[in-house]
Amino acid sequence: MRVLVVEDEKKTASFVRKALQAEGFAVDVCSNGDDALAAARATPFDGIVLDIMLPGRDGLSVLRQLRERKNATPVLLLSARGEVNERVEGLNAGADDYLPKPFELVELVARVRALTRRSGENKSTVLRVADLTLDTITHRAQRGGTDIELTAREYRLLEFLMRAAGRICGRMTIVEKVWDYDFDPGTNLVDVYIRRLREKIDANFEPKLLHTVRGTGYVLKEQP
Amino acid sequence: MTIRKRLTLWYAGVLTASLLVIGFGTYQEIFERFRHEHRQEPVEHALAETSEMVFSVGLPAVLLGLLGGWWLTRRALSPMAELTEAIKKIHERNLREPLPRTGNGDELDRLTEVFNGMLARLNDSFNRTREFTLHASHELKTPLTILCGETETALRDESLSAAERERLASQLDELRRLARIVDGLTLLAKADAGQVTLKLEPVRLDELVRDNFADAQILAEPQGIKVELAACEEITVPADRHRLRQLLLNLVDNAVKYNQPQGRVTMSLQRANGAAEFTIANSGPGIPSEVLPRVFDRFFRGDPAHSPTVDGCGLGLSIVQWIANAHGGSVKIDSAPQQQTTVTVRLPLQS
Repeated sequence: MRVLVVEDEKKTASFVRKALQAEGFAVDVCSNGDDALAAARATPFDGIVLDIMLPGRDGLSVLRQLRERKNATPVLLLSARGEVNERVEGLNAGADDYLPKPFELVELVARVRALTRRSGENKSTVLRVADLTLDTITHRAQRGGTDIELTAREYRLLEFLMRAAGRICGRMTIVEKVWDYDFDPGTNLVDVYIRRLREKIDANFEPKLLHTVRGTGYVLKEQP
Repeated sequence: MTIRKRLTLWYAGVLTASLLVIGFGTYQEIFERFRHEHRQEPVEHALAETSEMVFSVGLPAVLLGLLGGWWLTRRALSPMAELTEAIKKIHERNLREPLPRTGNGDELDRLTEVFNGMLARLNDSFNRTREFTLHASHELKTPLTILCGETETALRDESLSAAERERLASQLDELRRLARIVDGLTLLAKADAGQVTLKLEPVRLDELVRDNFADAQILAEPQGIKVELAACEEITVPADRHRLRQLLLNLVDNAVKYNQPQGRVTMSLQRANGAAEFTIANSGPGIPSEVLPRVFDRFFRGDPAHSPTVDGCGLGLSIVQWIANAHGGSVKIDSAPQQQTTVTVRLPLQS
């Protein structure tokens, strides 16, 4: 997987590159819009991380140029302005996802992964992690053959974590996908729900499946 | 006493004095003539004639003069009353609109001109403050992004000891809190500058409230707080769904945070006086009346010590107020120490 990072701020570009490389991506970095367009023309990338605020030609203009040239490479927009209107504007211009600055690295990595592997997402109707199963049609959750009662929100949270099993999920992604909030709720809503979910799926069972990654988010997997 | 009454009184005094002077002059004249004509009892006759003249001619003239004076002052001062009404309506958001001028170049017109000049200067300085906040919050985002990113990168280092990891993670928590404050500040600064547009569509408010009620119960559970939904009428309002959810979550978050252990939160949604009315009350410690008018101020906290147990960005209620106002609605808060606090949000109904 090869990703182009277009970011003029050197330090930001550097830790984004490192984080993506650590996940096994090959990463190219450009610091302005014209170089980015030239690079996208020369190389077929699997995804582009595009900052909106760039010197000269800005990110939205690069995006429109790409789409005009029928280049359908998935694009994740980054913006320091981080406002609701801009998100809509970006998505209308043909972006596939949008992340306001300051973002969490784990979010950025998760979103790039989602962009580049859109089709590879787990689409089966019965999700399974160790002896925990979730039927996405009947909404029935079981662990070790025992039924687990879930509220609607807990169900959505568990489904989201199980579809992303083995990968760290940041709080912002959870808030966006499970609650459909486009703002940072600033409450410990996610933590409280995770605690409740953990009581239901982990308290009376071994091994523990739902783990906290201090400072970054949560992950559902068999090994700690 | 109003200027008009005072002027009329003075004018009445002046007219009465003139009448006295005229009366005295007339008396002298008549008395001299009578003495010349060798009439008997000239004093009595002169007095009688003078008083007749004064009452039949002088007094009506004085009354007419007073009426005229009353009318004149009213005419002269009426633009002043209009100006007062116009000035009363000025607040920080309509500084751009100058007061209407008569253009006749009189003193009041000059005053209006000078006043409009002052409004323009105030508007400029308000704008500069708004732009400053907007730019400041933008400028903070780049270094914050770098700090968050680098701290997170450092956390990924497998060789860190548990203590080092904990220290970095704690720093990251604070950085994210800072990021939330900057986010809230950006939102409000943009709203002030009129740069946020709401995406209005018909929204079923009762569904949002029910959804929010579910989250409220979960948020309140750890402190043993009971949440109740007293009423939830089916109501549709023209609204931006995301902003309304933000408003509801902020209110619930506050009602739980500023509450007593084993306390209570009561929510309700109903139609009242042609509007949708959402109320949320808690059994919390209440808010002292001297603090109450300031709770919507940015970064204002009831307790001067910024109670460390309550974590928040200090912009929640300001954001709630902006969202309610931007929807053409309003928000108010009622409370007294040691009593329940009730927040009421009113929103216009879908027509």
